Amino acid sequence: MARFLPLQVTDIRRDTRDAVVVTLTPRPEDAGAFDFTQGQYLTFRRSFDGEELRRSYSICAGRDDGALRVGIKRVDGGAFSTWANEELAPGMELEAMPPMGRFHTALDGGSAKHYIAVAAGSGITPILSIIKTTLKREPKSRFTLVYANRSVNSIMFREELEDLKNLYLGRFSVIHVLKSEGQEIDLFTGRIDAEKMQALFDNWIDPASIDTAFICGPEGLMLTVADSLRKAGLDDAQIRFELFASSQPGRAKKKAVSRDATHAGDATEAVVTLDGATRTFRMPKQGENLLDAALAADIDAPYACKAGVCSTCRAKVLEGEAEMAINHALEDYEVAQGYVLTCQCYPLTDRIVVSYDE
Amino acid sequence: MTDMSIEDYLAKGGKLTSPGNVPARYRGELLRLMASFIDSELAGAAGFAETINDAPGIRNRIAAAKITQEKLDHAGRVLAVMGEFGADTARYDNRHDWAARMGRDADLKAARHGDDMRLSVFHYPVQGYVDAVVLNVLMGLATGVQMQEFARVSYAPLADTFREIAPREARHVDLGLTGLRQIVESDEGRAKAVQSVQYWLPRVEASFGQSASKRYETQARFGLRHTENDAMRKDWAGRVREALAPLGLG
Repeated sequence: MARFLPLQVTDIRRDTRDAVVVTLTPRPEDAGAFDFTQGQYLTFRRSFDGEELRRSYSICAGRDDGALRVGIKRVDGGAFSTWANEELAPGMELEAMPPMGRFHTALDGGSAKHYIAVAAGSGITPILSIIKTTLKREPKSRFTLVYANRSVNSIMFREELEDLKNLYLGRFSVIHVLKSEGQEIDLFTGRIDAEKMQALFDNWIDPASIDTAFICGPEGLMLTVADSLRKAGLDDAQIRFELFASSQPGRAKKKAVSRDATHAGDATEAVVTLDGATRTFRMPKQGENLLDAALAADIDAPYACKAGVCSTCRAKVLEGEAEMAINHALEDYEVAQGYVLTCQCYPLTDRIVVSYDE
Repeated sequence: MTDMSIEDYLAKGGKLTSPGNVPARYRGELLRLMASFIDSELAGAAGFAETINDAPGIRNRIAAAKITQEKLDHAGRVLAVMGEFGADTARYDNRHDWAARMGRDADLKAARHGDDMRLSVFHYPVQGYVDAVVLNVLMGLATGVQMQEFARVSYAPLADTFREIAPREARHVDLGLTGLRQIVESDEGRAKAVQSVQYWLPRVEASFGQSASKRYETQARFGLRHTENDAMRKDWAGRVREALAPLGLG
């Protein structure tokens, strides 16, 4: 089970107008748990108006930096990122899970590889960690970064990237692609699309020289760049992804509890939505769990262990109430939002509305 | 970059990378797919474990032990990915008896049975060393086809895990074929092997699922599957012919 540990904020540095870099220090006994691999992220939790929010932010520090640092860019309407940008201060405590994520490849001090990374906006954060760690630990490897931003002012870690170029002269190059500001060469203006990738391959990066490519950004960028890399001859195992989904879920809505629901009858009217289709059936309140009742009603609901362990059968109660017999998989905050393991779920109200789609 | 829904992104071949950005239904289907693999490996290993004692000679016993050990390891690796979604990894493999089997003559077709998600073929009991070697070869070839499919799965951390597992699963087939070559050297061994091939062939074949399965459509929409059940079955049948013909078992 996931566990959250306290981290003390020891430094906050404003990087751009809407991004901060936060340095965090674990308690001595947790230092091992926060020993990260380049490219991993931390998941934080914080309560806003009594409701728990969880957000993941990538570590931007290299493994040899001797510090744990994340970059947090403010998203419009984002409660956590706005709070971090405006109110977070040194001395405060944050709660985070140990580092997770597999956006990395194994490093070997003897190899001489060519890595490229394509990042957009705050997608640079895990990439920066990868670049720093790789250049330090593989002294014969080189790295090319293609970095897309709106304008010069919005480039995160601009100075740090310049410093790295000087530190690793000849091994690290950066190609900035700016959407709204013309640069000296046309290639560097506009957005990253198939033509731009082709132009990069024709003039700047020999695709045959690439050992591994890292892509981090929103959906469109991931598709375009991966497609171009495949066409240029890279196979799937050479392309590493970290998606920064553009449609981050906003605040979780509280489940609607029907006030006039009575607890009188022995049976429940169950309304179950799966893949956009809603079916209504009756089931007993005791003796049969919601999953089995749904399966019996020919609803092809997902499930695996049927023992409250794996969470495959998770669904959300939108109306009515239910109780779970066993729960080894959902956390308190998920339960508070109305999620249930349907294999362990017994309705308490005369009507229950459940969705596998939310 | 313009905003795009996760569903459109997946339909265009996009990859998802963390539990935080998968939609609810995708999550359900992904976990189900992982559970099916894990349960099959756990049940497969539990059944194969007895072969360690049945195998003739230390070399064959080591091979059986290695296969058993690695199948457990592969279950563990996929379970670790599942754990990132909240599954209780410590409780998972303790929840029931993975060595339990149904009758040799049970008619299970492709359907799931009991309280786990193992492929139906792993509900049939193995009878002795030759039987185990034949099942290992036929099922190992099926796993090869499955690995090719799963390496393309749209959840990138899982695709990576399957790419790590694939070469070792392929090696299990090689070990099995080495064992089978020794078995068919004697008339008695050959007769047993022929019987076992006849027994397991339709049962492994059924493990590819139904033709035109609705589940496949859902999985394909999410980029969790790319090749239809029948096409995978055909691919497997070709590999089986290629492997068994030189042994005179085809």
